[in-house]
Amino acid sequence: MAAGRGVTGLFSADGAGTAAVWVAAVATLLAWSILVGARRPFVWSQRLLAGLLTGYLALIAIREVLLPRLLVPLAEDPGGRPLLLVALVLAAALLASRWLPRPVGALPVAIIIGATAAFALGGAIVGSVQPQLVALVPTSSGAGLLWGAVTAVIAALVLIAFLHGRSSGRVITALAGSGRWLMLGGIGAWLGYLALSRLVLLTDRLAFLTGDWLGLGR
Amino acid sequence: MTERLRRIGRFGVRRWLPAGFVLLIGILTALGGSAGIGWPTSAQPSAAELHALLAAPGRDRILVAFDPDVGTYAEVRPAVRAAFAQLVRAGATLSVVSFTPEGRALAVAELDRLRRGGVEEARLLDLGFHAGAEAGLVAATSRLVPAGASGALAEAVRDAGGGIAAFDAVLVVGGGDIGPRSWVEQVGTRLPETTIAAIVPTSLLPQAVPYRSSGQLDALVAGVREASAYVAAVRDDPAASAAREAERVDDAAPSALPIIAGALLLLVGLADAIAGRWRRDAA
Repeated sequence: MAAGRGVTGLFSADGAGTAAVWVAAVATLLAWSILVGARRPFVWSQRLLAGLLTGYLALIAIREVLLPRLLVPLAEDPGGRPLLLVALVLAAALLASRWLPRPVGALPVAIIIGATAAFALGGAIVGSVQPQLVALVPTSSGAGLLWGAVTAVIAALVLIAFLHGRSSGRVITALAGSGRWLMLGGIGAWLGYLALSRLVLLTDRLAFLTGDWLGLGR
Repeated sequence: MTERLRRIGRFGVRRWLPAGFVLLIGILTALGGSAGIGWPTSAQPSAAELHALLAAPGRDRILVAFDPDVGTYAEVRPAVRAAFAQLVRAGATLSVVSFTPEGRALAVAELDRLRRGGVEEARLLDLGFHAGAEAGLVAATSRLVPAGASGALAEAVRDAGGGIAAFDAVLVVGGGDIGPRSWVEQVGTRLPETTIAAIVPTSLLPQAVPYRSSGQLDALVAGVREASAYVAAVRDDPAASAAREAERVDDAAPSALPIIAGALLLLVGLADAIAGRWRRDAA
């Protein structure tokens, strides 16, 4: 198996690939123009991105969802898939919600929000809260036990820090303050690491411009 | 004199400082001669864990849940390709599915790259985009193969149940809305026997690490440092010599080249400044 050409390896060596590299390179330079205070090219690049994203989302919704999973199955077997008929009516109601009575237009939105919340909440409790609470309990010995205890104490302090606006004693207030500082420390450390990782993305773009686009050093 | 300094501050040094910073980064990168994604590849247990997990016997049918974020994909791209190379080399099949539109766009590009790289069509299965976010993920536990999918691999997956349980392991490439957390919460709770490994960018590191610590993820490579260490682990694998090109990440460009990119930036800014000056003069 051979690697793709260039740094990203996402573009083929034919005419379409070359055109894609040029478009990507020009778009990169347009986005970077804000670094030297040129707002207009930057705005162009933003509009290009927004337009492409909107078009792509519409395309993927039609090609990969609406046609193969709703309209084609309904056309092939109209009576055999009653749930799809319901889905079609709800999709139409969502699309025409602007012109329909509010309760009718709100129905598909309510179903989407309700179903999403149900899946997310159920999964969060069973898949995150319970196992993470169990994992907090120090069960090993030696350094593992110490680290588990420290983790449990930090987690408890951070949870106490979320007791906003409740009248509490001096001890709880002090603990909440400690938890807040621990949380800030954690977020700060993560943001620092995140900032450094962004430099890697910048380097990747530089390598793309010089390697894939200009073809230098290959 | 004061006015002159102010003008320099307005149109000169201050304006070019960000571009100078970009140049400095490029020069440092080039002088460092960094290979790969330019990060220290010191020993990272997590990288070794992922390498061992994917190298374990019985990992023949791998599901790749490909949902990275376009903006941060470059951070983990070398690790993802190293994982692909390791799996292809080991003879595994790759079935790729996406639950986010962004992930789908990148998945199509990576599948195309694998095909251009010579991976046999019979070892790749494009499972497409599944709508519905977490609800779609739950539905995929029992029905994952699209009706139109054909070929021996698609049939084998259908014969094995057609859902996520038909695979020997799942490699989650995170970064978007559906990542390791969703997989642990929605799939891990319904199919507890599923082996789930993940590669995620730094932005998801605080979210994903607790799942690895609790054992809900079987392996996790999170962030640039671990990704770089994993690439090194695959590259240094004795079995890799014949297929080392597969996970090749091009070396940094020679020192002069990032300067050219920076110079182009400067030219864009200069052209904009001149155009602005002309407009003001014309007005």
